[in-house]
Amino acid sequence: MKAEVHIINERCKGCNICIEICQASVLEISEEINSNGYHPPVVKNIEACINCGMCEMFCPDFAIWVTVTKEAEVNI
Amino acid sequence: MVKNIEKSHPADCFLHADPVSSVWCPGCGIGTVINTFIQTVEKLNIDLNEICVVSGIGCTGKVAEYLKFKSFQVNDGEVIKYAAKVKSENSDSKVVVFSNNADFLVSGAEDFIETGKNDVNILVIHINNIIYTITEYRAIPTTPFMRASIDKDFELPFNIPHLAKSCGARYVARWTPLHAGWLIYSIIDAFYKKGFSVIEVISPCLMYYASNDRMADAAGRIKFYDTNSVIKHDESTENLDIRINNKIIIGKFVDKK
Repeated sequence: MKAEVHIINERCKGCNICIEICQASVLEISEEINSNGYHPPVVKNIEACINCGMCEMFCPDFAIWVTVTKEAEVNI
Repeated sequence: MVKNIEKSHPADCFLHADPVSSVWCPGCGIGTVINTFIQTVEKLNIDLNEICVVSGIGCTGKVAEYLKFKSFQVNDGEVIKYAAKVKSENSDSKVVVFSNNADFLVSGAEDFIETGKNDVNILVIHINNIIYTITEYRAIPTTPFMRASIDKDFELPFNIPHLAKSCGARYVARWTPLHAGWLIYSIIDAFYKKGFSVIEVISPCLMYYASNDRMADAAGRIKFYDTNSVIKHDESTENLDIRINNKIIIGKFVDKK
């Protein structure tokens, strides 16, 4: 595991841009509903994430970002 | 399954995002433009007090409320005039204008031309959403050629890069929200220009185009931007009309010292 995906559920508006833009198909639509009635994304397959940051760059609501894990930082 | 437990974003120091999420529709291009602008400011390591943000009316006018810079929201048609005034008062800071179709094309066009001729050091990020969002189905200055409104009236559309170039802008570019990576470097380039610079972002209104079933979901929107745009740098600005069966030409068109 190299990268970690962080998602703020309450800020998401369910536009699914992050799910469509991700080339490694890390994310999927979750079944839970936030307080505005939208389905936020959830991490399905973290092993495939390469920390390209596309979901972070395109999110219109500042609800998702990616970081490198501490173990991976030591190995670099 | 991983649980989502986060509460705050690393970019929250630039935003008034704590009480509510942003006010725009899900997936609107304005959000992506703001995201790229914030990433630019993070990349350049600029202090919060060195940037002034001016915005006008409509959906794009809400940008000033959302950002934590020195921000001003002004009346219909006075955006460029006000930004020039702000620049003359704060000569050290960079003035960024987020403008709309209603802000300088209908009323206040003479201020745009005058500011361009005087070469005032401001950056205009024009978000062109093709229609008036609130009073939809009316022909407006940027409705594509041969696309009539519901009253069957149409007019020749404004070509904003050509207008900006003929006013003497030092940097003119045009992008879509799908080209966010290009847009970041374009804003960085325009930040260091000491003169009038214009970046047009074409992001059609979702409420209007959702009825055509082309842009109803994220996949359709990404496909629309991808198939209907072609990158041609240094293209002559006379050819940049948006016509109904042509592709939208995007890229960097003018870059003067």
